Amino acid sequence: MSVFMDLNLSYTEDKSSLQRLIETAAQLGYSTVAINYTFELTKKKKEVPKPAQIKELFEQLPIVQGRSRPIRVLNRLTVVMSESSHFRSTAPEYRHFDILALQPTSEKLFHAACMTYDVDIICVIVTEKLPFHFKRGSVNGAIDRGVMFEISYAAAIRDSTMRRYTIANAVNLVERSKGKGMIISSAAERALELRGPYDITNLALLFGLTDQTAKEAVSSTCHSVVRHAETRRTGSGIVCTTKVCTETSDQQGAPVDADTCEAPAAKKHKTAASEGVTAEEGGAKATSAL
Amino acid sequence: MKGVSTQKKSTGYQRVVLKNSAPVLENESTRLSAVEFKQFIITGLKILYGEVGAALTFDVLKYDEDSRTAFLRVPSRGLVKLWSSLTLLGSYQDQACAFRILQVSPFLLALTGNSRELQLD
Amino acid sequence: MSVDVCEAPHCQLVCENSSFLDEENSLVSLVQQLHFNYKVSLLIPDCSSAPSHLDSVINSFSSFVLIKNMPVSEFIDKDFLETAVYPGSVCALSYRTRIGEDNCVALMPNGRLRLSLDRHSYHLLGIEGKVSKFRSKGRHIVSVDLTDSSMAPGGRGYDRLLSGLTCRLPLTSDFLLSHQQGVQSCLKSLLSRYDWSELRPEVSTKVLHQLTCPSDLGSCDAYSVMDWLGAVDAGISSSIGSSSSFLSTYTCPGPQRMATTALSISVSGFLLPHHVQILIMEVRQFLEQSSSPWASLTVHGFTDNVVSCCENEHGRLRGGVNFYTLLMSKGHDYKLLIVTGSHDSCSP
Repeated sequence: MSVFMDLNLSYTEDKSSLQRLIETAAQLGYSTVAINYTFELTKKKKEVPKPAQIKELFEQLPIVQGRSRPIRVLNRLTVVMSESSHFRSTAPEYRHFDILALQPTSEKLFHAACMTYDVDIICVIVTEKLPFHFKRGSVNGAIDRGVMFEISYAAAIRDSTMRRYTIANAVNLVERSKGKGMIISSAAERALELRGPYDITNLALLFGLTDQTAKEAVSSTCHSVVRHAETRRTGSGIVCTTKVCTETSDQQGAPVDADTCEAPAAKKHKTAASEGVTAEEGGAKATSAL
Repeated sequence: MKGVSTQKKSTGYQRVVLKNSAPVLENESTRLSAVEFKQFIITGLKILYGEVGAALTFDVLKYDEDSRTAFLRVPSRGLVKLWSSLTLLGSYQDQACAFRILQVSPFLLALTGNSRELQLD
Repeated sequence: MSVDVCEAPHCQLVCENSSFLDEENSLVSLVQQLHFNYKVSLLIPDCSSAPSHLDSVINSFSSFVLIKNMPVSEFIDKDFLETAVYPGSVCALSYRTRIGEDNCVALMPNGRLRLSLDRHSYHLLGIEGKVSKFRSKGRHIVSVDLTDSSMAPGGRGYDRLLSGLTCRLPLTSDFLLSHQQGVQSCLKSLLSRYDWSELRPEVSTKVLHQLTCPSDLGSCDAYSVMDWLGAVDAGISSSIGSSSSFLSTYTCPGPQRMATTALSISVSGFLLPHHVQILIMEVRQFLEQSSSPWASLTVHGFTDNVVSCCENEHGRLRGGVNFYTLLMSKGHDYKLLIVTGSHDSCSP
């Protein structure tokens, strides 16, 4: 088990409420959070949002509860996809984000997302009845590629109908995936919608997860997602070696600057969760194909 | 030398205690008495688990009205139910609220000796 | 001597009735085994103030040091090995690290250095270890005996560990450090290099009035005893309801009696087993002279302790000890309640 993460805190324009959200997450013991920007092409806004600079939000990031290190904040983009043209895998706008997620709204798109699109997370809709059934093939395809599924719980706190959908859709997914490759995040808009990591591991039992997979859903599986994202951004299948000068504790899994180690895509590698993709060992900057 | 006798415990029934910082309410000035507090939790159980949930017996061992912190005791088979209903309780009388579970242990005695509470600076 | 172990969902409660006169009693080894004690609490009924000799023992728990941002490699520094590790008098535990989430480090007085590492760090360190049995996959325990001949400075194993901890995995953490002869005098050179502060264990003394106690604590079952002691510690006793109350059905176990006063003392900090041992002796002596029928002593270990998540040497108690309660009665009998295994703990 690694540190706890919540990879979905909804972005709000209101700076102070966003700050409070991140502070609360740190107090609850999350070591890493991601601010989520949702992008839907059908809406009036046609431009992919630009992530806010974390530095502008905090001069000093809040300290994780019971620890001496500050919380780590990532940016994430969720593309809501109702047509296959909505997601352009090479779009330069996507580069500003650490994590890329996709929310497919039809079975066909879900299958495509699982099998081909180069993303890190596939969101499972929790605000309405699932418009399609999960196919074991699609689900396994995604897990094999290291793409994880996400269930978010804030809607279940807000509304009792949504609660029913959340539980039903999550149970549906767990039946297909046996609880593997699943992360649980908040999608919270306000600090009071956040729950602690242990609360979530307990809640996940209702979704049919075991004690083990429930813990992984807020820790090591999230870690795999972050790793997968780092690999995707550094060009698939490229080993990136960067020089580490300060403490490792902060550096572990720190996002590698995409611009500095850009390299032509080589082999597509299967599970990005594999170890040593970003080796943080000494030596000068060097890139080499796997 | 004296003989040594050992005692064997049955494992069938076990209690679990939760140390529970009770609702963080949106409006800090709202006061909640111990009875209202327990009633609120029962309501939460009933929403999520129906009448069977509402019938779950648990104890409010201690409740502090100012900090809204409580010690709850529940049979271990009821823990998941009680805990998940606390997790999903999101509003009290139309204002947003959240339960923060501080510690869970099978032994009440363990709750007073949590080394993670050690604050040294 | 036989000890029975019962298995509960997440932890075990071992209950043992024995006597201090029994030469094979396991108390001494148990106390020594729990190196990292966080809190000791003492409850004595029918007593309103501690006699001076007991008081002085309580206040004699040695102070400890919090060092900030110290590299783990300092533990295998030649100087440190000679002044602290080989004499076997130093205890250190990483502070503000959570087992299961972070990399945790512990140095025991017997010269063993234990690291609990996540998979990534484990591979970087490159020292052989075991997969942790009690935590989820990917976590490894590396245990190194610093007193072993191969770990002497200059030896192969030593060089490997040194390069691992300085180049490949330069792990740093805040540490709690305790030394039997006083940290300040013995570890001057180490302290001079880092930001540190000396801390005293915190002692709190409470006199409880009109406490409802079980009239025969020894005959109650172990779970109720634990619960009752916990209730007293948490200050629940005063609000104990009747079995028909709406709020709580918790009642004092067994036939009851009223103790006019009871003394509750707790010491918390980074406490050495050596002092716990002295305290037990002192309480025994006190019991002989006073009118109190019994005394209970509870010792809590650190939750995020690497050692307790490993197979301990005796192999008897799986998962190591989390806390134990010692019930001493007049005479030489005692009852020992040991809670082992990973109790589900959840913190804010």
